[in-house]
Amino acid sequence: MHLTLFKTILRDQLHRPWLTLLLILSVALGVAVVVAVDLANASATRAFQLSTEVIVGKATHQIVGGANGFDDSVYRNLRLQGFRNAAPIVEGYAGAKELGGQTMRVLGIDLFAEPPFRTYITAGTNVDVNALTAFYTQPGAVLISADSAARYNLKVGDTLTLQIGTQKKPVTIVGLMRQPNEVSSRVLEGLILTDIASAQELFGLDGKLTRIDLIATDEQANKIAAALPEGLRLVRASEQADTVTQLTAAFQLNLTAFSLLALAVGMFLIYNTVMFSVVQRRRMLGILRCVGVTGREIFLLIMSEAALLGLIGSLIGLGLGMLLGRLTVALVTQTINDLYFTLTVSDVNVDAFSLVKGLLLGISSALLAAALPAYEASAVPAVTVLQRSDLEDRIRRLLPRLNVIGAVLIVIGAAILIFGQSNVALLFGGIFIALFGLVLYVPVVTIFLMRIATATLGRFGLIARMASRTVTQALSRTSVAIASLMVAVAVVIGVTVMIASFRSTVENWLAQTLNADFYITTPLAGANRVVTMDPALVEKARAVEGVQNIEVLRSVTVRGLETGDLRLNATQGGVARESRIFRSYSGDPSKIYEQLNAGAIAITEPFANKHHVAEGDTLTLLTDKGAQSFPIVGVYYDYSSDQGSILMSLDVYRKFWNDPKISGFSVYVAPSYDVNQVEDAVRVALSGNDVTVQSNRALRDAALVIFDRTFAITRALQVIAIAVAFIGILSALMALQLERTRELGTLRATGMTLRQLWRLTLLESGLMGAAAGILAIPVGLVLAAILIYVINLRSFGWTIFFTSVPEVYVQALVVSIGAALIAAIYPMVRLSHLQVIEALREE
Amino acid sequence: MRRIIVVISVLAIVSIAAFFYWQSQQRAPVATEIVALQSAQGAEGFARVTEPREMQFPQDHGPHFDYQTEWWYYTGNLTAEDGRRFGYQLTFFRRGISPGVVTARASDWATNQIYFAHFAITDEKNNSHNEAEIFERGAAGLAGASGEPFHVWIDNWSATGSNPDASAVKLLADDAKMALDLNLNASKPPVVHGENGVSQKTETKGNASYYVSFTRMPTTGTIRINGENFSVTGDSWFDHEWGTTALGENAAGWDWFSIQLDSDQELMFFQIRNKDGSIELLSSGTLVEADGSTKYLKRDEVKISVLDTWTSPVSGGKYPSKWRVEIPSANLDLTLTPLIADQEMRVSFTYWEGAVDVKGTSNGKNVRGQGYVEMTGYGNARGDVGY
Repeated sequence: MHLTLFKTILRDQLHRPWLTLLLILSVALGVAVVVAVDLANASATRAFQLSTEVIVGKATHQIVGGANGFDDSVYRNLRLQGFRNAAPIVEGYAGAKELGGQTMRVLGIDLFAEPPFRTYITAGTNVDVNALTAFYTQPGAVLISADSAARYNLKVGDTLTLQIGTQKKPVTIVGLMRQPNEVSSRVLEGLILTDIASAQELFGLDGKLTRIDLIATDEQANKIAAALPEGLRLVRASEQADTVTQLTAAFQLNLTAFSLLALAVGMFLIYNTVMFSVVQRRRMLGILRCVGVTGREIFLLIMSEAALLGLIGSLIGLGLGMLLGRLTVALVTQTINDLYFTLTVSDVNVDAFSLVKGLLLGISSALLAAALPAYEASAVPAVTVLQRSDLEDRIRRLLPRLNVIGAVLIVIGAAILIFGQSNVALLFGGIFIALFGLVLYVPVVTIFLMRIATATLGRFGLIARMASRTVTQALSRTSVAIASLMVAVAVVIGVTVMIASFRSTVENWLAQTLNADFYITTPLAGANRVVTMDPALVEKARAVEGVQNIEVLRSVTVRGLETGDLRLNATQGGVARESRIFRSYSGDPSKIYEQLNAGAIAITEPFANKHHVAEGDTLTLLTDKGAQSFPIVGVYYDYSSDQGSILMSLDVYRKFWNDPKISGFSVYVAPSYDVNQVEDAVRVALSGNDVTVQSNRALRDAALVIFDRTFAITRALQVIAIAVAFIGILSALMALQLERTRELGTLRATGMTLRQLWRLTLLESGLMGAAAGILAIPVGLVLAAILIYVINLRSFGWTIFFTSVPEVYVQALVVSIGAALIAAIYPMVRLSHLQVIEALREE
Repeated sequence: MRRIIVVISVLAIVSIAAFFYWQSQQRAPVATEIVALQSAQGAEGFARVTEPREMQFPQDHGPHFDYQTEWWYYTGNLTAEDGRRFGYQLTFFRRGISPGVVTARASDWATNQIYFAHFAITDEKNNSHNEAEIFERGAAGLAGASGEPFHVWIDNWSATGSNPDASAVKLLADDAKMALDLNLNASKPPVVHGENGVSQKTETKGNASYYVSFTRMPTTGTIRINGENFSVTGDSWFDHEWGTTALGENAAGWDWFSIQLDSDQELMFFQIRNKDGSIELLSSGTLVEADGSTKYLKRDEVKISVLDTWTSPVSGGKYPSKWRVEIPSANLDLTLTPLIADQEMRVSFTYWEGAVDVKGTSNGKNVRGQGYVEMTGYGNARGDVGY
C-alpha cells in the first residue's frame, strides 16, 4: 500500500472533523468502560494476591481449626519435636478509629518463627531495634505501615483504639513498616502487626492459636496431619487462597461482561461511522479505482484508516478508563468488602496487561466494525459511481437472508444459555450472540414500524410521510443507528428490571426473615467475618423487662469434607423459625425444626446450587469431635451470601464443637411493651460493651444499602451505555443528513422552507428514536429474563422473582426519543447554513 | 569471664537477633547497626556483678533473670569406637530485654527473654565442620531454663540434669545434618572462676560476670553426622556464665582456651586483645589440679605465642591456628593444634570455635590432652562484628 494513497484518504477523512471525532469518541468510550472495569477488577485481584502473599508468606501448608482457635500445644509439640519451619499466628479483625475507621487485619506473630515465612520487616524497612524490642516485650505494641501513618497523621508513640468484638482496646504504635516497593507497601496498609502474646490478649485467645503456617514437604505434611488432634486440619496454603479468590470470580466476571456490552454498543457506532465515511467518499474511491488502485488496496486503505482512528480512540479510551478506574475501584472494593472479605485497595493499580488488552480490544473492534464497509468500498466499480439506490436495493434483497441468520443466531444463543451450565463467560457469550440475532431483525421491524407510521402520520401531511419513508429508504444507515440505540436502551431495561426484581425479592425475603424486634451484634459484623461475643450478654439482655424471647446466633466457618470451608449458622429459640421460606424439603414441613434439633441441617439455595446437594443428601463436617455426617432436610431461600451457608441448631453445634461463644442475638419484645423503650433498656443493660443494637427496620435498611452499593457500579455502566448510544444516534443522524445534502438542497430549491426541513429532520430523528425505544422493550425484557433466570441462578445460585417495572418502559421511550431529538439539533443547525447552490453541486 | 567480647557481641546481636536474622543477605549495614546499638541498648535495672557470690548448687546452674546475659556452654572431644575423632559444641544463650520475668500478663507467650543456641560438630576424618543456630522466644514452653531440676532448652535442643545436683546431664540436639545424644557426668566438683568468684572484664566496677565450670565431664552417647550414627566416648567441658556487662572500648577481640590433660589437670585461660595489639591486663585463667583444687592465673603468668595462622576462605578472617602456651608458675608448656583448620562458626556472627589437640609437658613430664579454643574479632572481612 502506498503511503501517498493513505495520506490522500486520511486527509479526506480529516475534512470531516465531526465524523472523525465521533468515530474516535465511540472507540474511546467503549475502551474506557472496558479498561475501567478491568482495572478495578485487576486492582482488587492484585491487592488480594499481595495481601495473601503478605499474610500467607512462603507457607506451603497451614494448620487451621475451630472458630475460637485451637490449643497452642499443637505448635509447641511441633517445635519440641524439632519441626522448625512452623510459625504460630493469632489473627483477627479490628476496627481502628484513628485509621479512618477501616477494618484492619490484626496479625499476631512470633518474631523468631517468622523469618522463613514473611518479609514485612525485611531489608529496607525502618523498623529499628528499639521498635522490635518494644514490639516483643510491650503489651499492645503494634507496627503499622508507614504509608497509613502518614495518611492519618500518626507517629510512633501514638495510641490506636482497636474495636475488637464488643470492646475497645488501646494499642501503641511502636514502629512503622516500610516496604521497598510501592506495590507491596500498599498491602501493609490493611495490616496491624503485633506480637503473638499481645494478639492473644487483644482477642481473648490466651493459650490459643488461630493458625499455624508450615513450610513442609508432602511427606512431612502428611505426617503432621496424621498426628493432629480432632477438629484441626492441615490444608495447602494455595488452596486457602484459591477459595477466597473464587469468591469474587462470578462478581468480577459479571462486571467484565457488562463492560463488554458497552463496547459492543460502541462497535455499532464505529460500524456506522466508517460505513458513512465510505459512502461519502464513494466518488473519490471510484476515481481512485479509475486511476488504477485495486479493490484490495482500497480495502487495506479503509482498514488502515480505521486502525489508525481506532488506535487514537483507544489511547484516549485508556486515559479515560484510568480516570474512570478510580471510581470503579472504589465501587468494586466496597462490594468486595460488603459481601466477601476485607480488602484494602488504596489505589488503582495500573496494570499494563489491562491497558494492552483495552488497546487491542479497541483497535480490533474498530477493524471488525470497519470490515464490512471496507469490503463494500473495495467493491466500488471503477467506472460508475455506485448509486445509493443500488445499495439500498441490495440491503433489501439481503433482508430475508439477514432474518434467517438472525434466527439461527438466536437459536444458538438460546442453546448456549440453556446448556451453558454455570460458566459465566459462556453465558454472556450466549447473550451476545442472541442479542446480535435480535439486532438483525431491526431492519425488517423498522420497515414494518415505518409503514405503520406512514399510515398514521400520513394524515398529518407530506412532511410526516416523507420522514417515515426516508427512514425506510435509508435503511442501511437508519437501521444501524436504531439498532445501536435499541441495544443500549435494552441493556438499560434488562439491567434495571433485573436489579428491581432482585431488590424486591431481597426486600420480601428480609421482611419474612427479619421478624425479631431488634438485633444485637458487634460493630464489626460483616460478610464472611467470624465475630465473637460474650454469651453473658444474652443473660443481661434477657433480664430486661419486656424482653419476651431471645434467639441466639453463632456464625462460624467450618470445614466440610465434600465442600471445603463453609459458613455455618447455628441458632436457638423457636419464634422466628416458621419464617424461613423453604424452597424444598423432605418429610413433613412442620417437622423441619424438630429434625434440626435432632441433628439435621438445612442449607441455603445458593449452597444447594453451588455444591449440587439437596434435601435427602448428607454433608460431612469436620467437627471438634471428628468428622460427622449431617442429613439435609431442606433448602431455603437466602440472599445473604452467594457462597451459601448451612443452618444448624445451636444445641447440635455445641455438641460437636467446643465453642460456647456467640456471634449475635435477636430480641423479641413482649406484645404489651413499647419496642423502643425495651430497646433502650437493653442498650443500657449492655452498656460498657461495645455492641450494635439495630432495630428490625434499621437492619433491613442497612441490608438494602449494601444491596444498592453492590449495584452502584452496574448503574454507572448503564449511564455509560446510554452515553454511547446517544453518540451513536447523533452520528447516524448527522451521517444521514450529510449524505442527503443534495437531496435537501433540491428540496430547498423546489420551495421547501427551512422550517419545514427542520420539521422533517426532527420527525425522522424522532421516528428512529421511537423505533429504537419500542424495539428495546421486548429485547430488554428478554435480557432481564436471561439475567434473572440464567445468569444469577447459575453464577450466584439464587432465585430472583421477576418484578415488572412499568415506568422503565416509559423511560425507555422517553430516553430513546429524547436522545434522538437532541441528536437532531446539530443537523438542524447545519441546515440553516445550507447553501442551495453548493448542495446541488455536490455530485 | 573469658568471653568478654562474646558477651558484648551477644548483647548486641541477641538484642536485634530477629532483625539481624532477617537481614542475612545484607550483613554489612547490620554490623554498623550493632556498633551503634551498643550504647542504645541500655542495661538499666539489671543487677551487676560487683561482689563475690556464695554459689548455691544446683539453683545457680539455673537462670539468673536479674542479670541481662547468660549462657550454658558445652564443648567436648569425642572418639568413636573405631577411633574416629569428633568435636562438638552446644551452647544456649539467654538474653533479658528487661530485668526479672514477666508475670503480669494474661498470655503465656508474653516474655522479655530471648533464647538462642549454637550447635556444631567437627568431624576430623572428613575434615568437616557443621554448625546450626536457632532462636526462640523464652515463653510458651518453647525455650527456657531452670536450676532445680536443671533444664535448659530451645525447641528440641536441650540440656537436662540427670541427677539432683546437676553434675550429670543429658544433652540432645538435632538438626538436618547432625544430631547428638550425650550423657555427661562430672568427675570433679564445679569450679568458680575469677578472683573471689568475680570474673572481672574491665576496670569498670560491675563489668564482670559470675563464671562456673565443670571442667571435666566424662561423656558417652551417640552422634549422627550426615545420616551416619556413631557411638562415642570422651570428655566434655561445661561453662555457665552470667552478668550484665558493657563493652571495653579498646577491645579488638579475644581468645579463650579450655584444655583437659591426661595428667588429670584442666586449664582455662582467656585473653582480650586490644585494638593497639596489646593484651588486656585483666585477662586471666584457672588451673584445676587432679584433686579438684584450683589456682587463679593472672595475665602475666601466661605466655601465649602464635605458631601458625589460617585464613578463612569464607569470611577472610586470619586466625591463629597453632599456639604455644607457657605457664612457668604452673610448670606447664603446651602446644595446641586444631583438629581441623576450618572450625569457623558462620552463624549470626562469625567466630572460630573448635577442638584442639594438646601436647607438651607438665611438671617436666610429657602430657597429652585435648581442648577447645574460641576466637573472636578475626573474621571481620564480611562486615561481621569486628572491633
